Amino acid sequence: MTCTEIENRLIDYINQELDTKTSDAITHHLDTCFSCQKDLEELKKIYHDIEQVPIVIPDNSLRENFESMLQQEISLEKKKSITSFNWKTVFQIAATIILMLSSFFYGKLQSQKEHDYELASINAEKQEYKQQMTISLMDHNSASKRLLAVNYVEDIEHPNTAILEALITKMHYDNHINVRLAAAEALSRFSKNEKVRKALIHALERESEPDMQIELIQILVNIQEKRAVPSLERLLHDQKTLDYVKDQAKIGLPKLI
Amino acid sequence: MKHQSDEHIMLKVSNGELELTRILFERYHVKIYNFILQMARDKSLSQDLTQEVFYKVLKYRHTYNKGKFSSWIYTIAKNTYMDHYKSVKHHPHRLDDVEHFIKDTNQNSKIDLEITDHLNIALDQLHPSDKMLIVMNRFQDIKYQEIAEILGSTPGAIKTKMHRAITKLKTVYLKTM
Repeated sequence: MTCTEIENRLIDYINQELDTKTSDAITHHLDTCFSCQKDLEELKKIYHDIEQVPIVIPDNSLRENFESMLQQEISLEKKKSITSFNWKTVFQIAATIILMLSSFFYGKLQSQKEHDYELASINAEKQEYKQQMTISLMDHNSASKRLLAVNYVEDIEHPNTAILEALITKMHYDNHINVRLAAAEALSRFSKNEKVRKALIHALERESEPDMQIELIQILVNIQEKRAVPSLERLLHDQKTLDYVKDQAKIGLPKLI
Repeated sequence: MKHQSDEHIMLKVSNGELELTRILFERYHVKIYNFILQMARDKSLSQDLTQEVFYKVLKYRHTYNKGKFSSWIYTIAKNTYMDHYKSVKHHPHRLDDVEHFIKDTNQNSKIDLEITDHLNIALDQLHPSDKMLIVMNRFQDIKYQEIAEILGSTPGAIKTKMHRAITKLKTVYLKTM
């Protein structure tokens, strides 16, 4: 063992926490090494000196204060147990509360039915308006505005056919890749729709941008669209396809067939 | 009752036998007081904080989790001290604090005084967490396993930190001799 190794174990050595073999090795080393001997003596001195520090006894006020605090806590506990077992009062209060609550909820239920009806028609109008806004925004000149519109679709629970068609157009023909990506992602949520599925397959056939190809492969594999297999195979054999797109296709293909 | 384990007594306390807290007070108040005094180095403050520790034992008796009682009460003591420490935003010790401490312990021999004085000065130069480890392990004789429980760490990590803290103390202490 080197001196550094010994140094790191001296505390364990003093505490007698080492196995006999290591302990003996250190004893042996100490016989000849002056610097480690010095280290050991210093450690022993610190330990010895710490033991000389006297225990200080707190003065009696600590016990007196504790005693009065304890008495206070005991009387508090007694008070609590007396008040909590007056069952008659508890029952009366409970009955009153139940009566009040039930009348409140009956009244609320009555008026709620009317409100619900009104609210439903307002909500329907609002959704309709939002969808129209979204469609018109999708044709905006600025790509960021179009991207915004595509992202709006995520808030619409049941988009109408017009919206879906607009999204499909964006995914196929928008000249900005980010808009196409967002449109594909938004469409993936509506994969139950046959039109959407066909559009996704078609998109993979015509797309040449690698990032978009990857996104489409992932979506098509996720929705288990087996009709995409020919496109995937074509991509694999096409020399123009980038390697990492091919890798994605290789991972995806076995999941579909 | 006098021979029952701390844990057994504390369970009874948490079930409403509050008078039994007295036994735990007798068993622990000197240790807790000395632990806090060693950290805070101020007698009247340490009395107050020790008082607070036992107040918390009573108040939070329902949260006692049946674990080792000494770990539980030391955890409370550590938190009580740390809360105080944070609230005063540690000011460096003034010399008269140390003198005050010397005067208070004048019933002991002169040699003891010098050693205590030197050790305190050296300890105060360490990081508070290093100092707390040394106070727990060497002054209070708490084992690594239990320190780990109190500080929410592992025995291995405590041992490593403890070794480092002792080495630091050694360097500082021997320099001041």
